[in-house]
Amino acid sequence: MSDHHAHYLAGKGSTGKTIMSWVWTYDHKKIGVMYLVAVLMMFFLGGLAALGVRAELFEPHYTEFVNDDGQVVADTKGYKGAGSDFVVPEGTTPEQRGVMFPNITVTTVETNPDTGERTEGTKTVTGNNIYNRAFTLHGTIMVFLFIIPAVPAALGNIFLPIMLGAKDVAFPKLNLWSWYIYLFGGMFAIFALIQGGVETGWTFYTPYSSTTEWGNVTAMVLAAFILGFSSIFTGMNFIVTVHKLRVPGMGWFDMPLFIWALYATSIIQVLATPVLGITLLMVVFERTFLIGIFDPALGGDAVLFQHFFWFYSHPAVYIMILPGFGIISEIIAVHCRKRIFGYRAIAFSSIAIAAISFLVWAHHMFTSQSPVANVVFSALTFLVAIPTAIKVFNWISTMYKSSIAWTTPMLYACFFLFCFTIGGLTGPPLATLAVDIHLHDTYFVVAHFHYVMMGGTVLAFVGGLHHWWPKFTGKVYNETWATVGGWIVFLGFNLTFFIQFFLGTQGMPRRYATYPTDIPAFEIMHKISTVGSWLLLLGFLIHLFVFLHSLLAGKKAARNPWGGLTLEWETETPPLEHNFEREPVMTHGPYDYDTARPVNADPALFPMPTDTPKAH
Amino acid sequence: MTLSTMSSSLATNAWDALWFRENGSAYAGEYNSIYYFIFWASAAFFVVLMVLMVWFMLRYKRRPGVAAEVSASHNTPLEIAWSVIPAIGFAIMFFWGTWAYLPKAVVPEGAETINVTAQQWQWKFEYPNGATSLQTEWISDMEQPLFAIPAGRPVKFLLSSTDVIHSFYIPEFRIKRDCFPNRYTVCWAEAKEPTHWFDPADGLAKPYDKNDDGKFTDGEQGYYLYCAEYCGDQHSQMTHRIAVLAEPDYQAWLEKQNNTDGVPLLDLGAKLYKTGGCAACHSVQPGGVGTGPSWHGIWGTARPGYQPLNADENAGAVVDEQYIRTSIIEPQSYYAPGFQGVQMSQYAGVFTDRELRAIATYIQSLSDDPAAVEKAKQKSDAEAAAQAASDAGAAEGAADESDPEVPAEPGA
Amino acid sequence: MSDQQHNQAGFDAGPLPPAGTRPHETYVHGHHWRDRWEEADGAKLGMWLFVCTELLLFAGFFCAYAAFRLMYPDNWHEASRYYLDWKIGFINTGVLLFSSWTIVMAIRSLQLDKKFAAFIYLGITNACAICFLFLKITFEYIPKWQLGKLPGKYFNYPNYGPADPAVIDSTTLPEPAGPLVDAGHAITNGATDMVASAMNSGVMDVLPIAAKAGEEAHHVPMPHDHIFMSVYWISTATHGLHVFIGVVLITWLMFRVMGEHYGPRRYTMVENVGLYWHVVDLIWIFLFPLLYLV
Repeated sequence: MSDHHAHYLAGKGSTGKTIMSWVWTYDHKKIGVMYLVAVLMMFFLGGLAALGVRAELFEPHYTEFVNDDGQVVADTKGYKGAGSDFVVPEGTTPEQRGVMFPNITVTTVETNPDTGERTEGTKTVTGNNIYNRAFTLHGTIMVFLFIIPAVPAALGNIFLPIMLGAKDVAFPKLNLWSWYIYLFGGMFAIFALIQGGVETGWTFYTPYSSTTEWGNVTAMVLAAFILGFSSIFTGMNFIVTVHKLRVPGMGWFDMPLFIWALYATSIIQVLATPVLGITLLMVVFERTFLIGIFDPALGGDAVLFQHFFWFYSHPAVYIMILPGFGIISEIIAVHCRKRIFGYRAIAFSSIAIAAISFLVWAHHMFTSQSPVANVVFSALTFLVAIPTAIKVFNWISTMYKSSIAWTTPMLYACFFLFCFTIGGLTGPPLATLAVDIHLHDTYFVVAHFHYVMMGGTVLAFVGGLHHWWPKFTGKVYNETWATVGGWIVFLGFNLTFFIQFFLGTQGMPRRYATYPTDIPAFEIMHKISTVGSWLLLLGFLIHLFVFLHSLLAGKKAARNPWGGLTLEWETETPPLEHNFEREPVMTHGPYDYDTARPVNADPALFPMPTDTPKAH
Repeated sequence: MTLSTMSSSLATNAWDALWFRENGSAYAGEYNSIYYFIFWASAAFFVVLMVLMVWFMLRYKRRPGVAAEVSASHNTPLEIAWSVIPAIGFAIMFFWGTWAYLPKAVVPEGAETINVTAQQWQWKFEYPNGATSLQTEWISDMEQPLFAIPAGRPVKFLLSSTDVIHSFYIPEFRIKRDCFPNRYTVCWAEAKEPTHWFDPADGLAKPYDKNDDGKFTDGEQGYYLYCAEYCGDQHSQMTHRIAVLAEPDYQAWLEKQNNTDGVPLLDLGAKLYKTGGCAACHSVQPGGVGTGPSWHGIWGTARPGYQPLNADENAGAVVDEQYIRTSIIEPQSYYAPGFQGVQMSQYAGVFTDRELRAIATYIQSLSDDPAAVEKAKQKSDAEAAAQAASDAGAAEGAADESDPEVPAEPGA
Repeated sequence: MSDQQHNQAGFDAGPLPPAGTRPHETYVHGHHWRDRWEEADGAKLGMWLFVCTELLLFAGFFCAYAAFRLMYPDNWHEASRYYLDWKIGFINTGVLLFSSWTIVMAIRSLQLDKKFAAFIYLGITNACAICFLFLKITFEYIPKWQLGKLPGKYFNYPNYGPADPAVIDSTTLPEPAGPLVDAGHAITNGATDMVASAMNSGVMDVLPIAAKAGEEAHHVPMPHDHIFMSVYWISTATHGLHVFIGVVLITWLMFRVMGEHYGPRRYTMVENVGLYWHVVDLIWIFLFPLLYLV
């Protein structure tokens, strides 16, 4: 058995042993760190695809007509419609312009099934195809490989047992399995996405996904199926850990809100993922055995797939955002040094969101199902908005009369409140039937879910990463540059996505590789959005360098740099192999900043109200 | 579009460009009102929350040695209040939105039915008189058919798809409905005002120039029909023009589309290539690109067979009139090298005999062999001459009746 | 809670034998658990969660079943009566129910420290599982395969032959009785001409199940039979895969039991596999009436 008193990042004597101590580890922190590295790599890969998508949309496609001498004799850029001066001159060749992704010629080899004779041919693939593969790559990687595992499997794995005062998660071997399944599924997915590619969009709508000949849809769908197991195992592990391994004296309402959020997330993971699993399996059967259940050409029902798919994928939205809520609750409480306002309301609203999330799936189908079903699901969708609104009010109230440290995590919490509130408030127009009919499948939806997913989860994730960075790496990061990076990400994000709400109200459909040339609003808005995406890249690169610099040259971090009261601040920095020297004792609640003094911290830095009776 | 024209048009229309597009249908305005209500209510809410947040950030910034004040851990009346007030707001949004939506789910009596068929990657309108559109228009990098609908009366769109799911979306009418294979869906719209007028001189619907009275932003020419459900490679090119015509113009335009007998074979073939769905996959340029093979220079070339029903399978064929006819009606009968496994939609029953002949003649005219091109021209001319001869008397009589009426003046 | 207390609180199995040197007696619980009973409780909770995921997985099939049953009620009823033999399903139900009882008895035997009894009970459970698979494959899957009663497009409509020669190897299937038309065509052409040609061609001779059962063959092919068979194949095959996984798990348990890894102090794994086995059983209890009887 290894040395209990060494911190978990310590080497094991030789390089070989150290590597083995990672590869074959049951330690939740090491598994969490491996997850963290993987999801960050996935984030950059998915981000690159998004930059490609934005670059393609910088300019609409248009056509130039070239004569035999190669001179442009006309183009469709200033085209005024039928009856205008525009005439296609005789004997000219049209050439596409304004495309980032050119047409490519691929070689096809076909074997005649009867004679076994192989014929070689060439097929030209339009640039659209590459664009479609790029946005599918972006969507699938960001959803299945980044955002679903990002907070629970990385930060959650590292901190959930520590915050509960446990030595490990309930099933450490299962945790390791979960990681390797993720790794296997991830490699499978990347293989499918790079080798040939998939161009169905991450939603795999049938019958397109079940009949398209292009690429590795089957492999990608299987990869998502495999990744589902990883997600389910993590969820099961967390639920049992929360139920069984809380330190004695920690009741349900003494748990940090991050744990509540992860608990609600895990419930959704366990209950919704199997439905996605079986749906994707049926798509695989559909493609391999032509079972016809989702294919109208064979008597099946394409809408049935959408029901199955969204029964998972809508709750999955809350798998993505709930852990973000948890992180924000932690950051605000610690950096404002304030008891969280309405603890129970926040905890219960997480559970309420988890419960209601199972009842709203069909609001993704307002244009494909019957009006009666639409009314029911519209009403249910408004229900889910209420607990979400409550959380925002509670967070802002917590800041009232507090003592706010201007740190990068707190900055990110404010960015989160800003962006997530916009994301939340643009939900009601989409839930309102009369308005959604127009906005459905336009850029309004794209902007809405990016404000929730990126403005919500990603900003919370980056904030949480800064918040816990000193604890789990043992190194201090450069606060100034982190703040600069944060502001650039914030500005870039809003530049990229805010304008897309107006693209949506203008009627620009999503997943378009090009758009009409004669609507000037489309072009200028897309240009602004693309410029914003470059800013985002810059901001995230700064963060990357801040983190790398911290790892290589950062100073050693204190045990409790923020003066937090939850249990993770009571351990060593970085934590010990088995988390605690001895089982911690609960002497105060997680947010009792009025009455409890943080351990391992300088009391002068973190005064209590009793120390300074005349505060403010 | 150059940057200077773009910025000038944006300066004049920047505010308009942030909201909905023009209210093209009878009920678009009501939908706008609901959106604006939600928008401004949300904006007010957002501003209050953000002002509070920023104020707290500044006012309660940490000062060395000063602790936070003790304040309540919760406040039940306050929390109930801020749960109930948004709930009331949401209830208003729900009821207003639903009451506006539900009546529009029912098609009004007496609406004219247009059958709309979606396929990868083109729309096809079939009008009550059996006509489909022959007029085309360049949209970014594609030449696509234009579809006219009448102004001032409801039109019902009976939607279906031949392959995958598409979605019928016209932003100005605020309508969107998915199209499924093997299932009909329905939506309807009542266009308010004409956007185009019919020019009898060349038989085309032409856009009003609305720049002066500010109807369209600079350069815009009427409404677009989009596909809003991702449907594969050229999803973004499933963008067609919708032309709203005044009633007499609409009837005249419709009559023009219906009567293809007078169009010479070659012209008809070229038109059908663009409006019949062929252009989505087949190019007519040498070595052209697409999902299917280019039509250029294929006339007279040999093709391997792939016909399970045929006794002498693999016998192959030469591209001629019969080959083209078979390939349109039973697309899986033969394959072009390099395009094995590409599934073309079935076109059985879509084209008349004469239209099939027209397409074959058109393909013949794309041959590399000048003799074949010449033959195609002769075939077309000969047929036109024969028709002209047989219809000579009737045509003369009809000429007086179809004297072009004076088109409605723009804005009249 | 001590071993003794736990044992007496939970079960009425008499006093525990004194701890010895057998593997299950010297077992040390994971370092992060307070004691072995906590660990066992945690493992059981985890297993119950996994059971939920299993039920939800099959819920997908049940939803597909319900959706198509609502869409094509007559077709569904007829196809169920005609293509499936309730007798095989009934025997299999009995076999599985019996095996559920034997695995419970295996757990009970371990609690009473009766190693060989536990081994025998597990063996019987395993035999039942293999019997289930044998009956299923021999009397259902293979005949259906030979007759082309395959899912979706591979479904061999009587007198219409298999769907597509490019995808079905003609050597593995009997010669089609008539011209080749794929299932998709059969649907678009409508049921009428299919029914008519089936009547004329004496196709009933090739469909043995009803005939074997000595019933009159009322059924004529209906246009959505292939969807019914799709649901039948994917749901029973997925269930069969679960039975097979059960066989692997129970075989592994039998080795572990012989190696004395389980006893009165440690039998959580057996309990969890038992739980899994009950769920496999339960799913069949739903599949059987839905597919074969209703």
